Amino acid sequence: MHGLMIFWAVLALLAVHLLRPSAGTSRFGGLVAFLLGLVLTAGLVRVSADLAGIGRTTDFDRVVNHAVRVAGEDQAPLILFSGASFSRNAIDDERLTEALRAAGYPHRVINFSLEAASLPERAAHLDQFIQHARQPDIVFIEVAERFDDRPTQFFGNSKFSLRGIEQFDLRTSAFAALGLTEGGCSGLADCVQETGLLGAHLGLNLLNVGLIGQGERPENAGELSAWDAQHEPRVEVEQADRSRGLTAATISNPDYGPRWIASMRSMSASKLDARGTDVAYYFPPVIDPGARAYAAGLCAGELAGEVCIAPDAPDLLEQLDGPFWLDEEHLLEPGAAAYTDWLAAQLIESGLLEGGQP
Amino acid sequence: MIFTEPIFFAFFAAVFAAYWLAPEGRVRLYILLAASAVFYGWWDWRFLGLIGFVIGVSWLAALRASPLEPGSRGRRAWLIFAITTNLGVLAVFKYFGFFSQSAAAALDAMGLQASWPVVNILLPVGISFYIFQAISYIVDTARGDLAPERRLSRVALYIAFFPQLVAGPIVRAASFFPQMDRAKRLSGGLIAAGARAFLIGFAYKAGIADNLAPLVDPVYGDALTPGDADLSAWSNMALIGATIAFAGQIYFDFAGYSLMAIGVARLFGYYIPKNFDYPYAALSIADFWRRWHMSLSFWLRDYLYIPLGGNRLGRVKTYRNLIATMVLGGLWHGAAWTFVAWGALHGGALALHRALFVGNGQRVGLIAALLFTQGFVLLSWAAFRAESFSDMLTVWHAFTLTREGGSGMLPIWVFAVPGLIALDAWLGGRAGKSPARLALLRRPIVYWCGLGALTAILLALYPLEAAPFVYFQF
Repeated sequence: MHGLMIFWAVLALLAVHLLRPSAGTSRFGGLVAFLLGLVLTAGLVRVSADLAGIGRTTDFDRVVNHAVRVAGEDQAPLILFSGASFSRNAIDDERLTEALRAAGYPHRVINFSLEAASLPERAAHLDQFIQHARQPDIVFIEVAERFDDRPTQFFGNSKFSLRGIEQFDLRTSAFAALGLTEGGCSGLADCVQETGLLGAHLGLNLLNVGLIGQGERPENAGELSAWDAQHEPRVEVEQADRSRGLTAATISNPDYGPRWIASMRSMSASKLDARGTDVAYYFPPVIDPGARAYAAGLCAGELAGEVCIAPDAPDLLEQLDGPFWLDEEHLLEPGAAAYTDWLAAQLIESGLLEGGQP
Repeated sequence: MIFTEPIFFAFFAAVFAAYWLAPEGRVRLYILLAASAVFYGWWDWRFLGLIGFVIGVSWLAALRASPLEPGSRGRRAWLIFAITTNLGVLAVFKYFGFFSQSAAAALDAMGLQASWPVVNILLPVGISFYIFQAISYIVDTARGDLAPERRLSRVALYIAFFPQLVAGPIVRAASFFPQMDRAKRLSGGLIAAGARAFLIGFAYKAGIADNLAPLVDPVYGDALTPGDADLSAWSNMALIGATIAFAGQIYFDFAGYSLMAIGVARLFGYYIPKNFDYPYAALSIADFWRRWHMSLSFWLRDYLYIPLGGNRLGRVKTYRNLIATMVLGGLWHGAAWTFVAWGALHGGALALHRALFVGNGQRVGLIAALLFTQGFVLLSWAAFRAESFSDMLTVWHAFTLTREGGSGMLPIWVFAVPGLIALDAWLGGRAGKSPARLALLRRPIVYWCGLGALTAILLALYPLEAAPFVYFQF
């Protein structure tokens, strides 16, 4: 509860008690007046919430708060890994930090990932982190076929949630709509459904649904560590399927992501680059060779010339051919440890850390 | 399905369209009955059988117990059978666990080991409301005040009418049955009146009450999860703030629900009497009970207090009747000794008020009367909301500001809640009385523009994770 809620509740009470219907206007005039009142007041609500620093807080705000605190406690050069659940279960940021420091690099690594986080959602919260903490030295951006191919992937996780409504603002919705027109949905029914969901979430966002009632200052939302160690398999992966998937050669040709996501990646990178942050790309290991090949293809195509770490090294995949899987796409803690160690070596080899070397 | 959920709006739209497109008469009645079954079955379809049983027993008993039915025999037996059966249903589903645990605890305290199986029975939503409504129908027909209904479907709609099925207001059969026969026409006036009541209720519930719940629950614990609160850990100001917030929450929640029920019923052409009349403006505890949950107060008066003798048997028995009525009223709210204590407190206060002020010309000043009455009501909410007597005493101790220990603070804005309540009472009383001053607000363009603004505000205040209505648990 905050003072803004009391303010708007008082206005609501005034309106419900004082407004009395009466005849005498045309339907058109009534509709125009209604829409005018709706739009103007929605704008005022948004401005008042922005001025008070109040927003719909989600788990990502808690991830940001955790990252802000960790970054504040350690003034070393900062590396953020920004991804979705693939990364949440795969990158042990403490372990990676220790591995780098053991090799003589002072960097502090922070996992900055959350389930079903799209690139626009991650970018928005990265800005929030920078505002409250400091500019990271390096940001690693996860590239995943699933999110590139489906701009409305989030609706597969949850619909009409506070997080869904919060993230589909005008900018994100415009990119997602562009993605849908570029094949981000399959078949008429799917496209109609995804477009409808997108429109509904945008409408709820613009109309500030839940903004005052459930809103709070993001820094008061608590903390959530992005690194999420898992210990028990969620789905039993058949040994034969696992071995077949991991030992299959990752056949990749230079590839480019759909236009909407490529342009968003490019914009995000330019913005970070302009502030002095190096941008690099990665994708954690998965059993499906096709998904690995997509990341490797991007590294050789769209992201050629950038540091881009695809999980296609046979030595890594061989290490992971064991009971290390939460399911076919996510690692258990021992698998995450193996990947994190491998990643540390890749990072050092990339030359990106030289700026931070003592 | 609750009135503030998106699914309810889809449900309502479908029923509203079907109802008004259907021809007048039985078809509409069956549409409302079917809608009521869907609405109630949405929680748990298995309880449709239970409410069907209550309806069947009440219908049959009213026919047999009515003195207006020629040739009916064994009227008294039918009356007793029907009331016992209805109260039995309530006892089994609502109070069995409470009484069996209390009995076991009492035997344990006497050194007698009692071991019987613990039976956890799921509480059917709204059971206290529809059982009371059914009893009032049976008693009214047995008294000869009302002709019994021959058609089961009409009794079923009276008891199960979905707008007021799960949390009242408790409607009297004498006012409901004639409305079934009255010709109904969908008009602008009917829509405006229904929509306005619904909108006020929605603002109360979704705009205010649901936003107060997050202040109350962390301190008092989740009302549906016993034993999860540790009130002693909180500071005095936090306990006072949470109690004030609860006073606001329960009023805006229940009054809001009642107004939405009235609005929905109105949109189908039915009139349900109001359930709240700005109770926090009451100047005495008797006045409070004429304004708070009015349909229950009047039910308790007509079917419990007056049959017990009311005020006709002398002073002492009047006090006894007041306390007994309120203790049972407290127990009606929930199967816990804290509710009994809450009822006893109010019964005692009503008796004290009667002893001091009724019939002897004694008066106190307006401000003192308001502060004393509302101070008592506020303190008594601690008994209503606390999970144990020790929690209740902790809160009362906090109000003395002499309690030491505890930490934690609620936002300072919680102390603005009485201001919201006062503003609501002032506006509610004033708006209807001075229409001339509000001429500007009655201009159609201003009205529609204001409605748009109100919609924008309510959407911003709307909590996506809506809290259930407080009175659903009763």
